[in-house]
Amino acid sequence: MKNRKMVIITAIICLALLVTALPAIGGCSTPSKEGKTLKVGIMTPTTGKAAEKGVPLGDANLDCIKYINDELGGVDGYKIEVDWLDSKYDNTQAVTDIKKFMDDGCLFFTTSSSTEMGYVQEIANRAGFPGLVAYSSPSNYHPPQHIYGQTPDYGDDWTAFTQYYLKNIWKGTGKPKMALMLLNNPTGAGAKNAARAMADTLGVNIIDTEEHAATTTSEMEALTRIKTMNPDVIYISSTPAPTAVIIKNAKDLGMFPNVTIGVCHAAMTSALVSLGGADVVEGVYGVFPTVSWTDNVPAIAKMKEYAANLHPKDVNNGDYMAAWAQSLIIAEILKKALDNVGYDKIAKGDASAWANIEKYGFQKLNGYDVGGLQSPVTYIKGDNRLGKSLKIEQVQQGTITAITGWEEAPLIKYETYSWFGS
Amino acid sequence: MSLPCGIRNYNYAQDMAIVRTKTHWALLLGFLVLLFALPAFFSNYLLGVMNTIGITLIAAVGLNILVGYCGQLSIGHVGFIAVGAYTSAILTNRLGMPFPVGLLGAGLVAGFIGIIFGLPSVRVKGFYLAITTIAAQFIIIWFINHWSYTGGFNGITVPYASIGGLVFRSEASQFYLIITITVLCIFLAKNITRTKIGRAFIAIRDNDLAAEVMGVNLLYYKLLAFFIGCFFAGIAGSLLAHYTGSVFGEQFTFTDSILYVGMIIIGGLGTSVGPIFGVVFIRVLQQLLTVAVVPWLGNAFPHLPAGFASGVSPMVFGLVLVLFLILEPRGLAHRWALFKAAYRLWPFSY
Repeated sequence: MKNRKMVIITAIICLALLVTALPAIGGCSTPSKEGKTLKVGIMTPTTGKAAEKGVPLGDANLDCIKYINDELGGVDGYKIEVDWLDSKYDNTQAVTDIKKFMDDGCLFFTTSSSTEMGYVQEIANRAGFPGLVAYSSPSNYHPPQHIYGQTPDYGDDWTAFTQYYLKNIWKGTGKPKMALMLLNNPTGAGAKNAARAMADTLGVNIIDTEEHAATTTSEMEALTRIKTMNPDVIYISSTPAPTAVIIKNAKDLGMFPNVTIGVCHAAMTSALVSLGGADVVEGVYGVFPTVSWTDNVPAIAKMKEYAANLHPKDVNNGDYMAAWAQSLIIAEILKKALDNVGYDKIAKGDASAWANIEKYGFQKLNGYDVGGLQSPVTYIKGDNRLGKSLKIEQVQQGTITAITGWEEAPLIKYETYSWFGS
Repeated sequence: MSLPCGIRNYNYAQDMAIVRTKTHWALLLGFLVLLFALPAFFSNYLLGVMNTIGITLIAAVGLNILVGYCGQLSIGHVGFIAVGAYTSAILTNRLGMPFPVGLLGAGLVAGFIGIIFGLPSVRVKGFYLAITTIAAQFIIIWFINHWSYTGGFNGITVPYASIGGLVFRSEASQFYLIITITVLCIFLAKNITRTKIGRAFIAIRDNDLAAEVMGVNLLYYKLLAFFIGCFFAGIAGSLLAHYTGSVFGEQFTFTDSILYVGMIIIGGLGTSVGPIFGVVFIRVLQQLLTVAVVPWLGNAFPHLPAGFASGVSPMVFGLVLVLFLILEPRGLAHRWALFKAAYRLWPFSY
């Protein structure tokens, strides 16, 4: 009985100690370092089903930040401190990650994919916490609030390609007949929304829309349906593997290369050529928001150097380039804010700092060239796409080659359409 | 219920009491006081973790009733969470209904959808029933993504939860809302399992043929189990929608459905504390790995290949789950029961 009382008393003391220790546990948000640092939250899907893209994206973000800190001395003398977390491409994890960013005093945050941003955008918008997404979808920033797109979205891909097709490829009269083959997720939905909004305006007749899964191994049935409608052009908004399947099937049915095929930026990578075969995908058109690794632009040399030294597996990876560009944009945003309001106004990483970063950082971007890696980024009121242009590319002799300069995709105000979503 | 040494039940009320002794009451009340005092000490991040634990717990409790007590294997539980989330979103966003209507509506609609997909349980069981629930997950998500009223792939934004004029805007207020509903749901689930309904569920789980012979209406109770389990999932979905502020199809993955089953197995199937242990264990482990272990590994071993530190996280997670299933297949609830028994007998061994 006596020992029992001792145990109970010990348990109560432990509970009391725990309660007194709670402030130490609870206040464990890491403050910014003493001295001059600018904290940014970076979320990448380094594990989970998007890890194949998340790993090079995360590598490039950190490599570029390291380059900026070590070789350029930071941004106006202030080092960039990165709060880097794995989202696991998971809703629950992404939500807790962004809460941590906000608690840790980050000035803004970035994500790699539209899905990750979709998980957290409302939380960020409600708090006024600005965010930058590398690969976006229209739903991320329509209506425009505190989320900004680094590169054009999948809807812009369709618009840019269709404009190019009408101007340079279509030689007939009247409206060309276009069939859409869409992945059954936001990648496909982005193109569908753009087509729904802009087809009549641009002068294209959408004759059929077919959906497929990422794991599809044959689209013969869908293509047979499309073939009966005599399309002039097929636009595929999907990832490399299903796109390769579709092009192969189209070739087997005798549709390609008679019918022009265009693909979105998710598919227009070296993976398409290796999966489909160079002879099969020869002549396919596509769009991409960055230059290629063989282009000679100002920022390419340093990017290649860091990739070769630190992450050789990421050399020639388009995602690495996109994230390197994102980190350069991060630095430019911080620089703009420092130049316009000074360090003290953004040092705390609280709501007022977020407002200042957005107003004097994001919204002051004007023609920043991102080292030539992507189209220049500019903020225009009402349009939260910072990068608005893409390059039209074509598979020529097994290599993806840019055939145009930067083609601008016009802003589509999706939020004015009742079908867009509330 | 095993009682502390020297404690006896002298009447029916004592026998049926969930909290039996003064010590139990003191511990429970102390725990609740501590729980509701957390916003005074915890940062928004930690409160966010607690909120996700609370929401997950509500859904896990429902799944435990369905799987643990009634023995109806369901691997599509997240689909029903999605039903609840979208129901609440549509009711509050599109139809302008207040949050309490959205919350209750979410539970009821998810429950009724659960009944529809639970109909095969009358004919099939075990693995085959699991397949039908997997189909439920995919059908529900496909429907959500292709129905314009749900916003399709773009989803719907959801307003803050509010009751009367009180808007749950801050992390702390959302914590109070979610944890209150979680506590109520756990209490409700505990009581359900102690009633005739709960005993019928257990009878069906242990031997449905014998249960039927004894007069248990299998159709009624199996569908009731699906309704109750999916009702809780709907409630969790509604809270999730109002907490994150938006819902779209990709939030509700099949992997999460499997994770929910894993949580209740690790916690202890068919026990009232099992879901609590399982959910807390899994969610805390996920956070520890993501925010502490992985960054530490990345900094401590910079020369290792890219992605090594990140790759350790799912490896450790899987290893913990496997070890758990090998070493403690009856879950943490069984370990807790052993601890309580040992504590009550101490210093005696038996």
